[in-house]
Amino acid sequence: MVRQVAQGDESAFLTLYDCYVGRVHALTTRILGDSMLAEEATQDTFLKLWSRANTYLAERGSLLLWLLTIARRTALDRLRLEKRRPMLSDSTDPAELWQTIPDDKSLPEEARWRSMHFAVQSLSPEHRQVIELAYYQGLSQSEIAEVLGWPLGTVKTRLRAAMEHLREKWNQE
Amino acid sequence: MVRDDHSLLQENIPAYALGALEGEDARALEAHLQTCESCRTELADYRAVSDSLLAAIPPRQPSPALRKRMQARLPSAQKSARPRFAWSFGQLATGGALLLLLGLNLLSFVQMRELQRQQSDVLRQLQNNQAALAMLSYPETQALAIEAEHVSGTVLLDTERNSAALVMWNLYELTPEQSYQIWLIEPDGHRVSAGLFRAESDLPYTTQPIFSSQDISNFVGIGVTIEPAGGSDQPTGPRVFKVDF
Repeated sequence: MVRQVAQGDESAFLTLYDCYVGRVHALTTRILGDSMLAEEATQDTFLKLWSRANTYLAERGSLLLWLLTIARRTALDRLRLEKRRPMLSDSTDPAELWQTIPDDKSLPEEARWRSMHFAVQSLSPEHRQVIELAYYQGLSQSEIAEVLGWPLGTVKTRLRAAMEHLREKWNQE
Repeated sequence: MVRDDHSLLQENIPAYALGALEGEDARALEAHLQTCESCRTELADYRAVSDSLLAAIPPRQPSPALRKRMQARLPSAQKSARPRFAWSFGQLATGGALLLLLGLNLLSFVQMRELQRQQSDVLRQLQNNQAALAMLSYPETQALAIEAEHVSGTVLLDTERNSAALVMWNLYELTPEQSYQIWLIEPDGHRVSAGLFRAESDLPYTTQPIFSSQDISNFVGIGVTIEPAGGSDQPTGPRVFKVDF
Protein backbone atom coordinates (compact mmCIF):
# COMPACT_ATOMS: atom_id res chain seq x y z
CA MET A 1 0.00 0.00 0.00
CA VAL A 2 2.80 2.43 0.91
CA ARG A 3 4.52 1.55 -2.34
CA GLN A 4 1.33 2.48 -4.20
CA VAL A 5 1.25 5.81 -2.36
CA ALA A 6 4.90 6.38 -3.32
CA GLN A 7 3.84 5.85 -6.95
CA GLY A 8 1.16 8.54 -6.62
CA ASP A 9 -1.88 6.35 -5.99
CA GLU A 10 -4.31 8.76 -4.32
CA SER A 11 -6.84 6.03 -3.61
CA ALA A 12 -4.24 4.06 -1.64
CA PHE A 13 -3.29 7.24 0.21
CA LEU A 14 -6.88 7.88 1.26
CA THR A 15 -7.23 4.29 2.39
CA LEU A 16 -4.22 4.75 4.67
CA TYR A 17 -5.64 8.07 5.84
CA ASP A 18 -8.94 6.45 6.79
CA CYS A 19 -7.11 3.63 8.54
CA TYR A 20 -4.67 5.71 10.62
CA VAL A 21 -6.08 9.22 10.97
CA GLY A 22 -7.76 8.42 14.31
CA ARG A 23 -4.44 7.48 15.89
CA VAL A 24 -2.48 10.32 14.32
CA HIS A 25 -5.07 12.86 15.37
CA ALA A 26 -5.23 11.46 18.91
CA LEU A 27 -1.48 11.99 19.24
CA THR A 28 -1.44 15.51 17.77
CA THR A 29 -4.38 16.45 20.00
CA ARG A 30 -2.59 15.08 23.09
CA ILE A 31 0.49 17.15 22.23
CA LEU A 32 -1.14 20.37 21.07
CA GLY A 33 -4.33 20.40 23.10
CA ASP A 34 -6.06 22.71 20.61
CA SER A 35 -8.22 20.80 18.11
CA MET A 36 -7.63 23.26 15.27
CA LEU A 37 -3.87 23.15 15.66
CA ALA A 38 -4.08 19.40 16.02
CA GLU A 39 -5.97 19.10 12.71
CA GLU A 40 -3.32 21.18 11.00
CA ALA A 41 -0.58 18.95 12.41
CA THR A 42 -2.54 15.86 11.38
CA GLN A 43 -2.89 17.22 7.87
CA ASP A 44 0.83 18.04 7.71
CA THR A 45 1.64 14.53 8.88
CA PHE A 46 -0.36 12.90 6.11
CA LEU A 47 1.01 15.29 3.50
CA LYS A 48 4.48 14.17 4.61
CA LEU A 49 3.33 10.58 4.14
CA TRP A 50 2.20 11.52 0.63
CA SER A 51 5.47 13.19 -0.29
CA ARG A 52 7.89 10.88 1.57
CA ALA A 53 6.26 7.46 1.20
CA ASN A 54 9.26 6.26 -0.77
CA THR A 55 11.53 6.78 2.28
CA TYR A 56 9.60 4.35 4.46
CA LEU A 57 11.52 1.14 5.24
CA ALA A 58 9.34 -1.72 6.48
CA GLU A 59 12.28 -3.44 8.20
CA ARG A 60 12.62 -0.53 10.61
CA GLY A 61 9.11 -0.82 11.99
CA SER A 62 5.43 -0.67 11.23
CA LEU A 63 3.95 2.01 9.01
CA LEU A 64 1.78 3.23 11.89
CA LEU A 65 4.84 3.68 14.12
CA TRP A 66 6.60 5.60 11.33
CA LEU A 67 3.55 7.77 10.85
CA LEU A 68 3.15 8.45 14.58
CA THR A 69 6.84 9.36 14.85
CA ILE A 70 6.32 11.93 12.08
CA ALA A 71 3.15 13.16 13.80
CA ARG A 72 4.96 13.63 17.14
CA ARG A 73 7.78 15.62 15.56
CA THR A 74 5.35 17.69 13.51
CA ALA A 75 3.19 18.49 16.54
CA LEU A 76 6.19 19.27 18.78
CA ASP A 77 7.59 21.60 16.09
CA ARG A 78 4.24 23.34 15.99
CA LEU A 79 4.16 23.54 19.78
CA ARG A 80 7.56 25.26 19.81
CA LEU A 81 6.46 27.57 17.03
CA GLU A 82 3.41 28.57 19.01
CA LYS A 83 5.63 28.99 22.13
CA ARG A 84 2.85 27.56 24.18
CA ARG A 85 3.27 26.95 27.87
CA PRO A 86 3.36 23.22 28.59
CA MET A 87 0.15 21.72 29.87
CA LEU A 88 0.68 20.92 33.54
CA SER A 89 -2.49 18.97 34.12
CA ASP A 90 -1.77 15.53 35.54
CA SER A 91 -4.98 14.11 34.19
CA THR A 92 -5.80 13.31 30.63
CA ASP A 93 -8.63 14.79 28.62
CA PRO A 94 -11.95 13.35 29.84
CA ALA A 95 -12.92 12.85 26.20
CA GLU A 96 -9.87 10.67 25.78
CA LEU A 97 -11.46 7.37 26.64
CA TRP A 98 -10.63 4.07 25.06
CA GLN A 99 -14.14 3.19 24.05
CA THR A 100 -13.44 1.24 20.93
CA ILE A 101 -14.08 -2.39 21.48
CA PRO A 102 -11.50 -4.53 19.68
CA ASP A 103 -12.88 -6.47 16.76
CA ASP A 104 -11.50 -8.73 14.06
CA LYS A 105 -10.14 -5.74 12.19
CA SER A 106 -8.16 -4.45 15.16
CA LEU A 107 -4.40 -4.46 14.76
CA PRO A 108 -2.54 -7.22 16.65
CA GLU A 109 -0.78 -4.57 18.75
CA GLU A 110 -4.09 -3.04 19.77
CA ALA A 111 -4.32 -4.94 23.05
CA ARG A 112 -0.77 -3.98 24.06
CA TRP A 113 -1.37 -0.31 23.31
CA ARG A 114 -4.55 -0.45 25.32
CA SER A 115 -2.63 -2.01 28.21
CA MET A 116 0.05 0.65 27.92
CA HIS A 117 -2.62 3.33 28.02
CA PHE A 118 -3.95 1.94 31.28
CA ALA A 119 -0.40 1.49 32.56
CA VAL A 120 0.21 5.22 32.06
CA GLN A 121 -3.09 5.97 33.74
CA SER A 122 -2.09 3.83 36.72
CA LEU A 123 1.13 5.80 37.32
CA SER A 124 1.23 8.17 40.27
CA PRO A 125 0.39 11.78 39.31
CA GLU A 126 4.05 12.81 39.70
CA HIS A 127 5.31 9.98 37.52
CA ARG A 128 2.61 10.50 34.91
CA GLN A 129 3.43 14.19 34.78
CA VAL A 130 7.11 13.70 33.96
CA ILE A 131 6.25 11.19 31.23
CA GLU A 132 3.68 13.62 29.88
CA LEU A 133 6.07 16.58 29.83
CA ALA A 134 9.01 14.63 28.48
CA TYR A 135 7.31 12.70 25.73
CA TYR A 136 4.16 14.58 24.81
CA GLN A 137 5.49 18.08 25.42
CA GLY A 138 9.06 17.47 24.26
CA LEU A 139 10.76 18.91 27.35
CA SER A 140 14.21 17.91 28.57
CA GLN A 141 14.78 16.88 32.20
CA SER A 142 16.17 20.35 33.01
CA GLU A 143 13.14 22.03 31.46
CA ILE A 144 10.79 19.76 33.39
CA ALA A 145 12.63 20.66 36.60
CA GLU A 146 12.24 24.33 35.79
CA VAL A 147 8.57 24.08 34.85
CA LEU A 148 7.59 22.00 37.87
CA GLY A 149 10.00 23.66 40.28
CA TRP A 150 11.51 20.35 41.25
CA PRO A 151 15.20 19.60 41.78
CA LEU A 152 16.76 18.08 38.64
CA GLY A 153 17.66 14.94 40.59
CA THR A 154 14.02 14.45 41.56
CA VAL A 155 12.95 14.75 37.93
CA LYS A 156 15.56 12.18 36.89
CA THR A 157 14.55 9.75 39.63
CA ARG A 158 10.83 10.04 38.93
CA LEU A 159 11.27 9.77 35.22
CA ARG A 160 13.44 6.69 35.57
CA ALA A 161 11.01 5.08 37.98
CA ALA A 162 8.04 5.82 35.71
CA MET A 163 9.78 4.31 32.71
CA GLU A 164 10.83 1.23 34.64
CA HIS A 165 7.24 0.71 35.66
CA LEU A 166 6.01 1.05 32.07
CA ARG A 167 8.74 -1.23 30.78
CA GLU A 168 7.72 -3.87 33.29
CA LYS A 169 4.07 -3.60 32.21
CA TRP A 170 5.01 -3.67 28.53
CA ASN A 171 7.07 -6.81 28.91
CA GLN A 172 4.31 -8.53 30.88
CA GLU A 173 1.98 -8.39 27.88
CA MET B 1 35.20 1.91 31.56
CA VAL B 2 34.73 1.43 35.28
CA ARG B 3 31.59 -0.20 36.62
CA ASP B 4 30.36 3.00 38.29
CA ASP B 5 30.50 4.94 35.02
CA HIS B 6 28.48 2.23 33.32
CA SER B 7 25.83 2.35 36.03
CA LEU B 8 25.59 6.14 35.85
CA LEU B 9 25.25 6.09 32.10
CA GLN B 10 22.79 3.22 32.22
CA GLU B 11 20.54 5.27 34.48
CA ASN B 12 20.14 7.78 31.71
CA ILE B 13 18.81 5.27 29.18
CA PRO B 14 15.07 5.77 30.04
CA ALA B 15 15.36 9.54 29.65
CA TYR B 16 17.33 9.07 26.42
CA ALA B 17 14.60 6.77 25.04
CA LEU B 18 12.06 9.53 25.72
CA GLY B 19 14.27 12.19 24.09
CA ALA B 20 14.58 14.04 27.41
CA LEU B 21 18.34 13.60 27.91
CA GLU B 22 20.30 16.62 26.80
CA GLY B 23 23.73 17.96 26.02
CA GLU B 24 26.79 16.32 27.47
CA ASP B 25 24.80 13.51 29.13
CA ALA B 26 23.28 12.48 25.79
CA ARG B 27 26.63 12.57 23.99
CA ALA B 28 28.31 10.53 26.72
CA LEU B 29 25.60 7.87 26.56
CA GLU B 30 25.76 7.72 22.76
CA ALA B 31 29.51 7.13 22.97
CA HIS B 32 28.98 4.43 25.58
CA LEU B 33 26.32 2.69 23.48
CA GLN B 34 28.91 2.17 20.76
CA THR B 35 30.76 -0.31 22.98
CA CYS B 36 28.17 -1.61 25.46
CA GLU B 37 25.97 -4.41 24.19
CA SER B 38 23.85 -4.65 27.34
CA CYS B 39 23.05 -0.92 27.27
CA ARG B 40 22.05 -1.19 23.58
CA THR B 41 19.68 -4.03 24.51
CA GLU B 42 18.25 -2.02 27.35
CA LEU B 43 17.80 0.99 25.11
CA ALA B 44 15.92 -1.13 22.58
CA ASP B 45 13.67 -2.26 25.40
CA TYR B 46 12.92 1.31 26.51
CA ARG B 47 12.51 2.38 22.91
CA ALA B 48 9.73 -0.17 22.59
CA VAL B 49 8.08 1.49 25.58
CA SER B 50 8.42 5.00 24.20
CA ASP B 51 7.18 3.82 20.78
CA SER B 52 4.16 2.24 22.43
CA LEU B 53 3.40 5.59 24.10
CA LEU B 54 2.80 7.00 20.62
CA ALA B 55 -0.12 4.64 20.14
CA ALA B 56 -1.22 4.33 23.77
CA ILE B 57 -3.82 7.04 23.29
CA PRO B 58 -7.45 6.29 22.44
CA PRO B 59 -8.09 7.02 18.74
CA ARG B 60 -9.75 10.34 18.07
CA GLN B 61 -11.36 11.21 14.75
CA PRO B 62 -10.85 14.71 13.34
CA SER B 63 -13.66 16.62 11.66
CA PRO B 64 -14.80 15.20 8.28
CA ALA B 65 -13.72 18.50 6.72
CA LEU B 66 -10.09 17.54 7.26
CA ARG B 67 -10.40 14.66 4.77
CA LYS B 68 -11.84 17.07 2.19
CA ARG B 69 -9.02 19.55 2.81
CA MET B 70 -6.54 16.72 2.45
CA GLN B 71 -8.09 15.59 -0.82
CA ALA B 72 -7.98 19.18 -2.08
CA ARG B 73 -4.19 19.11 -1.66
CA LEU B 74 -3.76 16.02 -3.85
CA PRO B 75 -2.63 16.44 -7.47
CA SER B 76 -5.93 15.36 -9.06
CA ALA B 77 -7.83 18.00 -7.06
CA GLN B 78 -5.24 20.63 -7.94
CA LYS B 79 -5.86 19.93 -11.63
CA SER B 80 -9.63 19.96 -11.34
CA ALA B 81 -9.53 23.06 -9.15
CA ARG B 82 -8.87 25.24 -12.18
CA PRO B 83 -11.71 27.70 -12.49
CA ARG B 84 -14.60 26.51 -14.54
CA PHE B 85 -17.54 28.60 -15.70
CA ALA B 86 -20.82 27.17 -14.60
CA TRP B 87 -23.70 29.05 -16.17
CA SER B 88 -27.06 28.96 -14.50
CA PHE B 89 -30.25 29.34 -16.55
CA GLY B 90 -30.67 32.87 -15.19
CA GLN B 91 -27.13 33.82 -16.16
CA LEU B 92 -27.62 32.34 -19.63
CA ALA B 93 -30.89 34.26 -20.07
CA THR B 94 -29.28 37.50 -18.88
CA GLY B 95 -26.30 36.93 -21.14
CA GLY B 96 -28.57 36.21 -24.10
CA ALA B 97 -30.64 39.35 -23.47
CA LEU B 98 -27.48 41.43 -23.20
CA LEU B 99 -26.19 39.99 -26.48
CA LEU B 100 -29.53 40.73 -28.17
CA LEU B 101 -29.50 44.31 -26.87
CA LEU B 102 -25.92 44.70 -27.99
CA GLY B 103 -26.84 43.39 -31.45
CA LEU B 104 -29.80 45.75 -31.75
CA ASN B 105 -27.67 48.69 -30.65
CA LEU B 106 -25.03 47.75 -33.18
CA LEU B 107 -27.66 47.49 -35.95
CA SER B 108 -29.11 50.90 -35.00
CA PHE B 109 -25.62 52.37 -34.98
CA VAL B 110 -24.86 50.97 -38.45
CA GLN B 111 -28.21 52.24 -39.81
CA MET B 112 -27.62 55.66 -38.29
CA ARG B 113 -24.13 55.83 -39.81
CA GLU B 114 -25.57 54.84 -43.22
CA LEU B 115 -28.22 57.54 -42.97
CA GLN B 116 -25.57 60.09 -41.97
CA ARG B 117 -23.44 59.03 -44.94
CA GLN B 118 -26.42 59.35 -47.33
CA GLN B 119 -27.29 62.72 -45.85
CA SER B 120 -23.70 63.83 -46.29
CA ASP B 121 -23.71 62.61 -49.90
CA VAL B 122 -26.95 64.48 -50.69
CA LEU B 123 -25.56 67.64 -49.11
CA ARG B 124 -22.35 67.30 -51.08
CA GLN B 125 -24.33 66.71 -54.33
CA LEU B 126 -26.47 69.74 -53.57
CA GLN B 127 -23.47 71.95 -52.92
CA ASN B 128 -21.72 70.71 -56.07
CA ASN B 129 -24.83 71.31 -58.18
CA GLN B 130 -25.32 74.76 -56.68
CA ALA B 131 -21.69 75.59 -57.46
CA ALA B 132 -22.15 74.40 -61.04
CA LEU B 133 -25.41 76.36 -61.41
CA ALA B 134 -23.78 79.46 -60.00
CA MET B 135 -20.95 79.16 -62.49
CA LEU B 136 -23.40 78.61 -65.35
CA SER B 137 -25.22 81.79 -64.42
CA TYR B 138 -21.99 83.81 -64.54
CA PRO B 139 -21.50 85.45 -67.95
CA GLU B 140 -17.72 84.90 -68.12
CA THR B 141 -17.94 81.19 -67.48
CA GLN B 142 -16.82 79.06 -70.39
CA ALA B 143 -18.62 75.80 -71.12
CA LEU B 144 -16.39 73.22 -72.80
CA ALA B 145 -17.87 69.96 -74.05
CA ILE B 146 -16.67 66.61 -72.77
CA GLU B 147 -16.71 64.15 -75.61
CA ALA B 148 -15.38 60.75 -74.75
CA GLU B 149 -16.31 57.20 -75.73
CA HIS B 150 -18.63 56.55 -72.78
CA VAL B 151 -18.71 59.86 -70.95
CA SER B 152 -20.20 63.18 -72.00
CA GLY B 153 -20.79 66.42 -70.19
CA THR B 154 -19.40 69.91 -69.66
CA VAL B 155 -16.36 71.59 -68.15
CA LEU B 156 -17.37 74.92 -66.62
CA LEU B 157 -14.33 77.18 -66.45
CA ASP B 158 -14.16 80.55 -64.71
CA THR B 159 -10.64 81.92 -65.01
CA GLU B 160 -11.54 85.17 -63.22
CA ARG B 161 -12.53 83.33 -60.07
CA ASN B 162 -9.91 80.68 -60.61
CA SER B 163 -12.46 77.89 -60.40
CA ALA B 164 -13.98 75.20 -62.54
CA ALA B 165 -16.57 72.45 -62.36
CA LEU B 166 -17.10 69.17 -64.14
CA VAL B 167 -20.60 67.94 -64.99
CA MET B 168 -20.23 64.34 -66.23
CA TRP B 169 -22.88 61.94 -67.48
CA ASN B 170 -22.66 58.17 -67.62
CA LEU B 171 -19.65 57.77 -65.33
CA TYR B 172 -19.66 54.23 -64.04
CA GLU B 173 -19.00 53.34 -60.44
CA LEU B 174 -15.51 52.16 -59.58
CA THR B 175 -14.41 49.44 -57.16
CA PRO B 176 -13.46 50.53 -53.62
CA GLU B 177 -9.79 50.15 -54.59
CA GLN B 178 -10.15 52.73 -57.38
CA SER B 179 -10.85 56.46 -57.66
CA TYR B 180 -11.33 59.08 -60.38
CA GLN B 181 -8.54 61.68 -60.33
CA ILE B 182 -8.70 65.13 -61.99
CA TRP B 183 -5.56 66.54 -63.62
CA LEU B 184 -4.89 70.12 -64.76
CA ILE B 185 -2.50 70.10 -67.71
CA GLU B 186 0.37 72.57 -67.89
CA PRO B 187 1.62 73.87 -71.30
CA ASP B 188 4.62 71.49 -71.13
CA GLY B 189 2.26 68.54 -70.65
CA HIS B 190 2.98 68.13 -66.95
CA ARG B 191 -0.11 67.14 -64.93
CA VAL B 192 -1.10 68.65 -61.57
CA SER B 193 -3.62 66.80 -59.42
CA ALA B 194 -6.87 68.72 -58.83
CA GLY B 195 -8.66 66.23 -56.62
CA LEU B 196 -10.29 62.84 -56.37
CA PHE B 197 -13.95 61.94 -56.71
CA ARG B 198 -16.32 59.04 -57.06
CA ALA B 199 -19.26 58.67 -59.48
CA GLU B 200 -22.65 59.35 -57.96
CA SER B 201 -24.40 56.04 -57.44
CA ASP B 202 -27.98 57.40 -57.32
CA LEU B 203 -27.78 60.07 -60.04
CA PRO B 204 -27.14 59.74 -63.78
CA TYR B 205 -24.64 62.58 -63.65
CA THR B 206 -21.81 63.64 -61.35
CA THR B 207 -20.92 67.22 -60.56
CA GLN B 208 -17.44 67.93 -59.24
CA PRO B 209 -16.11 71.44 -58.47
CA ILE B 210 -12.40 72.17 -58.96
CA PHE B 211 -10.47 74.63 -56.85
CA SER B 212 -6.93 75.14 -58.02
CA SER B 213 -4.19 76.49 -55.79
CA GLN B 214 -2.55 77.92 -58.88
CA ASP B 215 -3.89 80.34 -61.44
CA ILE B 216 -6.17 78.16 -63.54
CA SER B 217 -5.46 80.26 -66.65
CA ASN B 218 -1.87 78.90 -66.57
CA PHE B 219 -3.21 75.48 -67.55
CA VAL B 220 -4.05 74.38 -71.08
CA GLY B 221 -6.44 71.57 -70.39
CA ILE B 222 -8.08 69.20 -67.95
CA GLY B 223 -8.38 65.43 -67.82
CA VAL B 224 -9.66 62.59 -65.67
CA THR B 225 -8.02 59.17 -65.19
CA ILE B 226 -8.78 56.11 -63.09
CA GLU B 227 -6.20 55.71 -60.32
CA PRO B 228 -5.75 53.54 -57.24
CA ALA B 229 -7.80 54.75 -54.25
CA GLY B 230 -5.95 57.62 -52.61
CA GLY B 231 -4.68 58.95 -55.93
CA SER B 232 -1.31 59.07 -57.73
CA ASP B 233 1.39 61.71 -58.18
CA GLN B 234 1.08 61.45 -61.97
CA PRO B 235 -1.50 59.71 -64.14
CA THR B 236 -0.94 55.94 -64.19
CA GLY B 237 -4.37 54.53 -65.07
CA PRO B 238 -6.67 54.67 -68.10
CA ARG B 239 -7.87 58.06 -69.29
CA VAL B 240 -11.62 58.77 -68.99
CA PHE B 241 -11.56 62.02 -70.96
CA LYS B 242 -9.40 65.05 -71.75
CA VAL B 243 -10.59 68.58 -72.63
CA ASP B 244 -8.36 71.36 -73.90
CA PHE B 245 -9.06 74.92 -72.69
